[in-house]
Amino acid sequence: MIGNAPGQRSRAAIPVGLLVLVLLPLILMPIAAVFVFALKGGPGEFWRAFTTEDAQFALRFSLLIAFFTAVINAVLGTWAASVLSKYRFRGERPLAIAINLPVAIPTVVVGTSLLLLWGPIGLFGKMLEPLGLQPMFTPAGVLLAHLFVTFPYMLGSVKPLLDELEVTYEEAAYTLGAGKWQTFRYVILPALRGGLFSGTLLTFAHSLGEFGATVMVSGNLRLRTQTAPLYIFAQFEAGHVAEANAVAAVLAALSFVIFFFLLRYSGGAGNAKR
Amino acid sequence: MSIRLEQLAKSFGGQPVVKPTSLEVRDGELFVLLGASGSGKSTVLRMVAGLTAPDSGTIRLHERDVTHLPPQERGIGFVFQNYSIFRHMSVGENIEFPLKIRKVPPAERARRREELLDRVGLGGFGNRYAHQLSGGQQQRVALARALVHEPSVLLLDEPFGALDVKIRSQLRRNLREVQQQLGVTAILVTHDQEEGFELADRIGLMERGELLEVGEPEALYARPHTLFGATFLGAGTVLVGRAREGAARIGPLALPIPSEVEHEEDERVRVLVRPEQVEISAAPPERGVRLLGQGTIVERNFLGALRRVRVRMPPIAGTRQAAPAVYGEEGLLIDAVLPAEADMGGPDVWVSLRGWHILAPPQPRLLVCDLPDQGSPAPFPLARALQAPFNAKVSLLAVAGSADGVEPLRAALTERTVAGNLPDAEAVVRRGDPAAEIAAEQRQSLYDFTLFQFPTGGRVEVLMELLESLAAPLLVAQGGPASFRRILICTAVGEPGKADVRVGGWLARRLGAEVTLLHVLPEGAGAAPWVNAHLNAGLATLRALEVPGRSTLRPARTPLQGILAEAAEGGYDLIVLGRHAPQPGERSIRHDVTLQILADSTKSVLIVPPDE
Repeated sequence: MIGNAPGQRSRAAIPVGLLVLVLLPLILMPIAAVFVFALKGGPGEFWRAFTTEDAQFALRFSLLIAFFTAVINAVLGTWAASVLSKYRFRGERPLAIAINLPVAIPTVVVGTSLLLLWGPIGLFGKMLEPLGLQPMFTPAGVLLAHLFVTFPYMLGSVKPLLDELEVTYEEAAYTLGAGKWQTFRYVILPALRGGLFSGTLLTFAHSLGEFGATVMVSGNLRLRTQTAPLYIFAQFEAGHVAEANAVAAVLAALSFVIFFFLLRYSGGAGNAKR
Repeated sequence: MSIRLEQLAKSFGGQPVVKPTSLEVRDGELFVLLGASGSGKSTVLRMVAGLTAPDSGTIRLHERDVTHLPPQERGIGFVFQNYSIFRHMSVGENIEFPLKIRKVPPAERARRREELLDRVGLGGFGNRYAHQLSGGQQQRVALARALVHEPSVLLLDEPFGALDVKIRSQLRRNLREVQQQLGVTAILVTHDQEEGFELADRIGLMERGELLEVGEPEALYARPHTLFGATFLGAGTVLVGRAREGAARIGPLALPIPSEVEHEEDERVRVLVRPEQVEISAAPPERGVRLLGQGTIVERNFLGALRRVRVRMPPIAGTRQAAPAVYGEEGLLIDAVLPAEADMGGPDVWVSLRGWHILAPPQPRLLVCDLPDQGSPAPFPLARALQAPFNAKVSLLAVAGSADGVEPLRAALTERTVAGNLPDAEAVVRRGDPAAEIAAEQRQSLYDFTLFQFPTGGRVEVLMELLESLAAPLLVAQGGPASFRRILICTAVGEPGKADVRVGGWLARRLGAEVTLLHVLPEGAGAAPWVNAHLNAGLATLRALEVPGRSTLRPARTPLQGILAEAAEGGYDLIVLGRHAPQPGERSIRHDVTLQILADSTKSVLIVPPDE
């Protein structure tokens, strides 16, 4: 009833125009600004800012962390989803809520609590220190923080698919002769393909942009634990707008690519169509 | 034998779902397990498939013991009710899946795939996906997939349950065809008797975890053994009459009892009449027809070619209806089917029988109450003494006070059946008020006798309640060893009924005991003529049962004193009392003759309610 009649199309011009007007300074212009400012000094200046050692490290470090976060959480999240969807037990709901909690908690708080637990004066940190292990302010610490913060995304993408599978799906495979591993490999995993893909992309994207928890646990050590978002922030604070913008533009471009992949798959994420 | 199950049993949470079940399915046979939902039929199938582990018993497929093998190693095909087609695979990939797992070369896989697709009538559908198929087509794919690896046994769990009627009958025909062409042995589970009739070489009828009857469809329909079999398979009326001189007396009819049906004189006999065996006519039928009587048509249903008619007849003395059970109905309801165009005239019609079938007498069932907390532990010696001569099925009942108490009590009860040397007894645990739960269990499962230990310490409340709501003979155990050689039947207490003599005599026959019929006379008075007539009738009943019997008249101040004196002097092992409706003010030991006899004597007492 909306939009199809020609008369209504002309009437839609005003509210749609208003909406665009409101969104312009909120979303569209800032995104455009990133690219505009990045290329303001010309391609040469952009290239210089982009290829500084610090910028290169920050980008590569971020991509590496995002990659491992996505891979590890793909496995962990699928496993958690299969446990939660297969078994019915007392305290199932509280556990499901607890697992999804990282989405709700401010990431800075997550960083703080990780620091309190694993830091030099933390509960586990104290125990590890005599062994010469110090996870905080190291790449491992950053990875830990990212795993924690992005964990629910994988679970959220895979569990609905698992819940949708018929109970007899696995049993059917067994009666046809497939062992446990074959059943997982040929029957369960393919059914989860869409969810695995979108979950991994979501995790990757969130890890790439993670700031709050990272800033707490990384120590923001350049060429050691500085991720791309931290680098952008540090350069901005130091007044190096061009350096900050060059990396910001690349980060934004990467996010767009991931976002479009997700959009393409979001239709198929809910069900395992080809 | 393709499939051989021996004493296969399974419980879930202490609740027996499949009671020890043995079954043999022949090579190439299509065996249908038929039963209502919750009867345990699917659990049997899942145990054969290896999807559910049995608690005890063995499963042999082609003489190979597979009881402990996983489903992958059993060489079976399984078709689920919900198809379980893998949605990310095409139809062809689904069918090839079992072959791929078995590393069959692609060319051979493709050949088998096409062959199976053709067999189930889906040639050319290989590239489709499940969501592009109808339910019936998906089920065909499931069948092809379950057969492609040439399993030795095909198992189908309600395969057509989710489909509409027309597609069902098509698929049934297709299944039967494919199964016969491939010669694969199959078990199909269903609740649909029509499906059973249409498909089965043989049908196994399951109820409450028990395989009640096994037989070919026509034999099961025409000659069921059990009441459940008679009523679950097809419609019909079951009337209960009495056996007299080799015939079942149903109102004016004497229907000869075939020699293979065991029966005892004066015992209840159940007669099944199928609707098509009932003849309805507007005018009195000719001579020589077995005329049951006159009735009124109360219901007519048009079924297409046929018309179903229900006729209500006035109550017939000595005849009762066991099925169809209609609450609050005093008369008899007889179902008949007639050709739809037949004219049976006005509402008042004559009913006669063209055929009938006499059901086998049911296996006697004993309910043994185990209430140690109420001072009434199960009388195990008595239960053992009765089990063998009766060939009875024993259930041991305990009543838990709370829901939490049920599981521990069930475990304890199962141990007690073993300790009490009644290992075949079924443990039943109910929750609530003991007397009410015992009465409810009796009503639900139609026990022939309830065994109850006379409580120690004067805690007779449960017993009193039981006596008040007595619906089946109650054997109250007390005293020494449980052997019955001499039985005293007291006809002096309560209304002079036949039930006490008949039940007492029946017990005596099974136990090989002799019976004394006692009548207590008021002191100084002579025997009234009706007393002698009554005693003679009782003796005749005993003679008919081939039980040695005698009668005795005993003068006493009160019936109670007479009974106690005779019981003490005669060396009897069991006293049988008729139970009359309780009189007002009898709610104490002092006023209840039955309880007084129990309290003052050391003998076991059988209390028999009057005939319904």
